[in-house]
Amino acid sequence: MTSSTLTKPSHPSTPPRSPKPAKPDLTLKQKLARFDYKVSPYLYIAPFFILFALIGIFPIAYTLNVSLYDWHLLKGQGDFVGLNNYVEVLTDPFFWNAFRNTISIFLLSAIPQLIIATGLAALLDQALRGKTFWRMSILLPYIVAPVAVAVIFAQIFNQYHGPVAGLLEAFGLEPIRWAFDVLPSHFAIASMVNWRWTGYNALILLAAMQAIPRDVYESAALDGANKIRRFWSITVPMIRPTLIFVVITSTIGGLQIFTEPKLFDGRTNGGSDRQFQTIVLYLYELAFPRRDFGRASATAWILFLIIILAGLINFAITRAIRTADAKPVPIASAPAAAQRAKGAAS
Amino acid sequence: MKSSRRKIAASVAGVATLALLATGCAASGSSNGGEDGGKVTLSITTFGTMGVDANYEKYMEENPNVTIEATNLEGGGAARDDAYAKIAAGTGLSDVVAIEEGWLGTIAEVSDSFVDLRDYGIEDQKDSWLDWKYKQGTDADGRVIGAGLDIGPQGLCYRGDLFEAAGLPSERTAVAEYFGGEDATWDRFFEVGQEYKDKSGKAFYHSPRFFWNSFVNQQEEGYYKKDGETLNIEGNDVLKDQFVKIVEAEKSKLGAGLPGWDVGPEAKEDKYAVYMCPSWMLGIVQGYYDEGTTDSGWDFADVLPGGSANWGGAFLGVSESSEHKEEAAKLALWLAAPEQQAASFELAGPFPSTVEGQKLVGDTTSAFFNDAPIGEIFAARSEGVIAQVKGPEDSNIQDNVFGPIFDRVSQGEITDGDTAWKEAMKLLDQIVG
Repeated sequence: MTSSTLTKPSHPSTPPRSPKPAKPDLTLKQKLARFDYKVSPYLYIAPFFILFALIGIFPIAYTLNVSLYDWHLLKGQGDFVGLNNYVEVLTDPFFWNAFRNTISIFLLSAIPQLIIATGLAALLDQALRGKTFWRMSILLPYIVAPVAVAVIFAQIFNQYHGPVAGLLEAFGLEPIRWAFDVLPSHFAIASMVNWRWTGYNALILLAAMQAIPRDVYESAALDGANKIRRFWSITVPMIRPTLIFVVITSTIGGLQIFTEPKLFDGRTNGGSDRQFQTIVLYLYELAFPRRDFGRASATAWILFLIIILAGLINFAITRAIRTADAKPVPIASAPAAAQRAKGAAS
Repeated sequence: MKSSRRKIAASVAGVATLALLATGCAASGSSNGGEDGGKVTLSITTFGTMGVDANYEKYMEENPNVTIEATNLEGGGAARDDAYAKIAAGTGLSDVVAIEEGWLGTIAEVSDSFVDLRDYGIEDQKDSWLDWKYKQGTDADGRVIGAGLDIGPQGLCYRGDLFEAAGLPSERTAVAEYFGGEDATWDRFFEVGQEYKDKSGKAFYHSPRFFWNSFVNQQEEGYYKKDGETLNIEGNDVLKDQFVKIVEAEKSKLGAGLPGWDVGPEAKEDKYAVYMCPSWMLGIVQGYYDEGTTDSGWDFADVLPGGSANWGGAFLGVSESSEHKEEAAKLALWLAAPEQQAASFELAGPFPSTVEGQKLVGDTTSAFFNDAPIGEIFAARSEGVIAQVKGPEDSNIQDNVFGPIFDRVSQGEITDGDTAWKEAMKLLDQIVG
């Protein structure tokens, strides 16, 4: 767009008289209007980016800076050591132990959680009486603070006094050392995560299911597909993008798990023998009890890269699925989806 | 429509501005408070059951311009991590901060985060403290960063009722004698433990972490040499011998196999019969029972296997970032004065670190501990005791090296003394090396 529409017609358009030929005779109001038009959009979005720079970019960059130094938590910056902190973390068996624990807890929580959430969402997608009541009920655990959840679950899984221990005893089973053995502790921690997040994810999946046009189900039903068949052939393929979203968010959350394992045994940083020390707990131990801020920062960056990697893998899988799906679809959205679903159903 | 919306927006903006102004005013007002003699709010962070809270009301009554905002953290470890994080951030420390002996050495490395209490007149009451306690609160440059609160002379908490049921002596002087009185040894402790176990079929003690710490504190030099810098663990046969004995005792199931530090509800279930009790532990044991309980069976004897030793004790420091250093120092020094130490002792048990304070509690008895004359016993238990020099990693080693190893031993994961010691050294190397 040129400024010619704004200049007065009496002026010759070719030879520039002043260094700023384009806006010589604008009124203040016009100038303001132009300014408003050109700059305002950026101003409107600026708060987010300023905030993001302050509380996002800056800490990330600063952490990178700290990670390159010998940096004592209390005494502060020491000598520049290059990538030495990274080498130390990556050769520390405790780090790899924490890495394994994190993955294990993640898998134990993410997999059952997604399955149950999808099942719950499918149930809630049926014609139920008191829909809102049911939907709110499954969201209830989500509004409980994670700290409270962790404290309560630590009691439930108390090796000596917990109700679970009581149950096992009632059935004459051997007591399980929840806070001492590796797998039981992972299971206990994963159960906290599941309890808190299943309902939340179910609601997101439910929203996706509700967006599926009902006529698709009707035509599938007419074609003789039963409920289970309809679930697998219509519901699941059509909520796939949402499923992937849920997988990505729970991956990011799962890799950063801290509160639950920390409070499962508050005296330690993830168990007396690091049975459930996750990467963030390892980072916490380095930063506070051991006061090695440089290595803690290096760990933070390594975790950041791991999460990016996990994100990229997710992205690649998503794309692979999409390209596999991408058959030419002639008409827009709903009918197209219906056609696809029909194809899948038949 | 439009204009009314604008009005709303304008009034919202107005309110927001007012709020900003108001908070601005409040902030500047309180920062001047100390000098004006106006209202001052002082924050204090303590941990565990220090009994310091016994004195807040009185201070606020005597100093109506002061409001005390107290935070009490659950344990020393939490208080330590909290203090470290806030020192690192350079902000957020309370005006008055309770510091534990075990991590005072670390704090001393950055002692300029705390004010020199000599600037606020601590030297005027210097003579009231036990000499060594005052020295502990002094850093290498002679700055006094901590006003001593309590010391940790140790006696033996024991369950009189369970001892009696097992056919052991149960009266407290007889119990002290039975363990060997002044010459009580750890070997005798394990013998009595075995006897109790044989007669009652129950575990004798809670967990080995406890008396391991007692033992380490009994040595002339603990985890560190006297210089407070050189580690004193690897190749230390005295520590290793005791360590191996503990592993043996664990194998004989003298311990209840309980994790870590909590007195725990197991106390009520008669799962163990003795507990090492530094003065500050009395309040913790008591905390597991309802207020006013007198029939718990717990009693307190004037004896400690291996001889008298100090374990722990706290200090009050005033943070350099405090906006009311003058007022905060006044509060800290007042709380650490003999009368207030005595009041804390009577509420929760931490034994005064001032001579006068100890006199004041001389005839205090504890209804919870079967009317044991705890004032008298702790006075006897602290005679001639001098606290050991602690190094920067002391509390880290206690919590993250020996703690986890003993948990593994208690759980039967490691059953051989030599192996356990080797594991501990490996862990030490990884964590401190």
